[in-house]
Amino acid sequence: MASVTRHRLNKRLLRAGHLIGLFVAMTVICLPGLWVVLNSFRPTVEIMAKPPVWIPNDLNLDHYRAMFGGAGEGGVPVWTYFRNSLIVSVTSTLIALLVGMAGGYAFARCRFKRKSTAFVVLMASRAVPGVALSLPLFIIFGRTGIIDTHFGLILVYVAMNVPFTIWLIDGFFRQVPRELAEAAEIDGCTRWQAFWKVEFPVARAGIASAGIFAFLTSWNEYALASQLTRSVTSKTMPVGLLDFTSQFTLNWGGMCALAVLMILPALVLTFIVQKHLIAGLTFGGVKG
Amino acid sequence: MARFASASVLAIVAAGSAAAQDQFAGTTIEAKLIGGQQYEALYSRIADWEAATGGKVSIISQKNHFELDKEYKADIAAGTVGWCVGSNHSSFASQYPTLFTDLTPLVPAETVGEFVPGNIAAATLDGRLVMLPRAQFDVSALYYQKSLYEDAGKAKAFAAKYGYDLAVPETWAQVRDQAEFFAAPPNFYGTQFAGKDEAIVGRFYELLVAEGGTFLNEDGSPAFNSPEGAKALQWFVDLYKAGAVPPGTTNYLWDDLGNGFASGTVALNLDWPGWSGFFNDPKSSKVAGNVGVAPAPKGGAGVRSGWSGFHGFSVTETCPDKEAAASLVAFLTNEDSQKLEAAAGPLPSRTAVWDHVIAQAKDDPYRSEVLAAFQETAATAFAVPPTPYWIEATNLVYPELQAAILGDKTAEQALADASDAVDELMQENGVY
Amino acid sequence: MTRVKLPPWLVLLLPAFIIIAAVVLVPLLLSLYSSFTPYHLTRPDTLWKVNFPFNYQKALTDANFWAAFGRTVLLLTVALNLEMLLGLGLALMVSKVTQGQRLLRTAMMFPMMFSPILVGFQFKFIFNDNVGLVNNALQSLGLADRAIPWLVDGNLALFAIICAEVWTSTSVFAILILAGLYAIPQDPLEAAKVDGCSPWQSFRFVTLPFLMPFIYIAMAIRSLDVARAYDIVQVMTNGGPARRTELLWTLIGRTGYVDARMGYANAMGYVAILLSIAFTVYFFLKLQRARRDLGMGD
Repeated sequence: MASVTRHRLNKRLLRAGHLIGLFVAMTVICLPGLWVVLNSFRPTVEIMAKPPVWIPNDLNLDHYRAMFGGAGEGGVPVWTYFRNSLIVSVTSTLIALLVGMAGGYAFARCRFKRKSTAFVVLMASRAVPGVALSLPLFIIFGRTGIIDTHFGLILVYVAMNVPFTIWLIDGFFRQVPRELAEAAEIDGCTRWQAFWKVEFPVARAGIASAGIFAFLTSWNEYALASQLTRSVTSKTMPVGLLDFTSQFTLNWGGMCALAVLMILPALVLTFIVQKHLIAGLTFGGVKG
Repeated sequence: MARFASASVLAIVAAGSAAAQDQFAGTTIEAKLIGGQQYEALYSRIADWEAATGGKVSIISQKNHFELDKEYKADIAAGTVGWCVGSNHSSFASQYPTLFTDLTPLVPAETVGEFVPGNIAAATLDGRLVMLPRAQFDVSALYYQKSLYEDAGKAKAFAAKYGYDLAVPETWAQVRDQAEFFAAPPNFYGTQFAGKDEAIVGRFYELLVAEGGTFLNEDGSPAFNSPEGAKALQWFVDLYKAGAVPPGTTNYLWDDLGNGFASGTVALNLDWPGWSGFFNDPKSSKVAGNVGVAPAPKGGAGVRSGWSGFHGFSVTETCPDKEAAASLVAFLTNEDSQKLEAAAGPLPSRTAVWDHVIAQAKDDPYRSEVLAAFQETAATAFAVPPTPYWIEATNLVYPELQAAILGDKTAEQALADASDAVDELMQENGVY
Repeated sequence: MTRVKLPPWLVLLLPAFIIIAAVVLVPLLLSLYSSFTPYHLTRPDTLWKVNFPFNYQKALTDANFWAAFGRTVLLLTVALNLEMLLGLGLALMVSKVTQGQRLLRTAMMFPMMFSPILVGFQFKFIFNDNVGLVNNALQSLGLADRAIPWLVDGNLALFAIICAEVWTSTSVFAILILAGLYAIPQDPLEAAKVDGCSPWQSFRFVTLPFLMPFIYIAMAIRSLDVARAYDIVQVMTNGGPARRTELLWTLIGRTGYVDARMGYANAMGYVAILLSIAFTVYFFLKLQRARRDLGMGD
């Protein structure tokens, strides 16, 4: 009897610990981000106050109003940056997913010589830091006239994301038993049909998460974009953040306001893609 | 305003020798202009130039100065220099000796004569006038909290401790005493300084000059490892050791300093003119209404510190239509342009516009105080050493200065190491 | 006319290889060449002088370079392991929740929405010694009576950078490990329960081996993604003060772009690339072994 109560107590303690742990973890994760959101609504004098103002007593939209205002009043071409970011990120993510699916499938399913070497070479290409690439890229792009264009950035981001995508998707294809596809082929499917009907749904989780990663990487990339873009025709939002800095000043409140506009779409997209992620994930879980 | 604009158009037309409004019709000037709130108001005047000359301006890059600097270097490397007009800065200009053309044959001498002579001198490298300064002249003066000097108790305690009366400091030694006196960490600090990158080297450089030293010898070899250098560096070390500056100051750049003084936690702050409005605006600053401004203090040699720089516009060597480009540059730096920019707070670089802004400010005591302090400091201001290796040298020097300030090395050791590094840099580049 | 028929794996991989060759390989060869020259950005003619092996000699005999090298390895090791452990814990906790998981997962990925450059500014302000969030909180709660110089003290500055780095990247680990947790077959877990394994035992001997490939994938991906750390560190401390937080990337970036000494920067870059590749190959080998153990690899 006693042991049963203790068992129950243990269970309850465990659950309480779990909830507390989760709460603490989520607080740590969300606080620094929410702090940025909060700052976008506060006047600079309150953000930088000493002694600190813990309970905001003056929330307003001044930073947003200034940001959408004209040149010279703190205005920033927000919509143009937004459009550039969107075009570049979405296109490069879609292309990277297609290329990555093909590559991931090849690695998971085909047998060929030097497979490991090919794989490592692909991955190692991601290890090359942006700093080492940016200047030669700039020179090549400058000579071929694709500097400061969407196309140039998309090309770079596809190359940046393909190794990731291949790796992730390869891992998920491996989780699908080869027999499953073979069975479908015996049932009269072509290889192509077997892929779309059997393997693709199972690997959808991998593709969805690869997609999120690729999108977020492109959406947030700064180091290369700052080199390869120059004017409003292609500047993306992370580069636009630097519009709030000048030689002597940094408008942190304004920066936060632009940051919020940057985070929102990414957050919404992640939330939507979650659904597919869950479907794919559970399917894979049942089938393993 | 319109009358002024048309008058200046006439001046340009006369200078350019062509007669009509469509002097540059069909010409498109590609320009790379510095971005940022403080600088962009001027660009609204580009439309006026377009209307007056028939030329067109296409802004192909708009970034802050450090990014623009990287872009210019990459442009030189890639050979993508087909554009015409670029923003420039006196501290950066010597790095691109081949990029920008000499403006002397393109701009009438009397126009050049209307600028502050010191600025033109700093814009002239190896006898070539590489840019025309806009109304963004920068030199630092001393901002302080006025209330600290109106407190009888503080005045008495200070006089008892240091043996002289508490007044707004006129020398760097007084700044040190007062900063140590006012400091009450962690809620209040005596002063602060920019602690990294070119910024700390610039501050060290101006103190060095104020102590009577020089940074580089005539031949380009380092000269800062001297008794004057040691004295200048010791000033930073002492303040840091005494806890009179925020402990994070070695990671501060200009924005941290400005926000720090505006937060009301710093007594004395050597800072740029661009902040004067910010500090006295209750929406952005807690010390609004309590801000005093004095000329930069003097060092041991009786010389005022005055590291200065300014923004300007240059024309590239490869520009296909230099006449048109120079006309745009002259327009953006003419009297009306400078009046427009200076109205928002920045300091002009034309003699007549200085007089104009001072006359304008006569009913505004704070603005008058600001202008008086900066004008006094500007009179003896000096630019960075005219070597293409200035920025590179600062990158070698600043970690050593930081090491001394943080106590990793003695001031002498740090200066010796920095001097060796700069010496190696100069030799590697074949300077001597 | 004979049509050459490419093997299917090559057809599938060709697009990936072409794009990567264009964007990575060609520029890399260019920068390899320039690392043999005294190439200075503002003096293009210096590109045609070869001074091999001067740059490499200079880099390899420079104490600052090796200090940055060691610090980079240290930072990578500490940050990666910390992120892995925290990510594993987070994923386990989230996977046990039955309600509101979708919201929780999105919240878990919240830091991934932040551009590294923004994270740099954000943590610079959070760790500011005078008006920063951390010091203000500590002082308001009475836990500290002095301003702690987070970004100045050697150890604290590295700690602050690791905080920023861990904050942004733990989500990556958590989401991948979570995906792995869902992919675990239920049968062995139930079998373990029937056999009387404790929760810890079934975690240790059933769950963890299945998770290992996912963990190594995450590790390798993160070890590659050093560019993120560059943006963050550059904004937070730019390697300073007094080189206390200098990493290879900040050193290279400054030498290459601010000092314009691209030849020398690229030489250092190559040493750094070798380091990254070593990390990648290491995790890849680990991944292969983990897969072999599970009977998934070939």
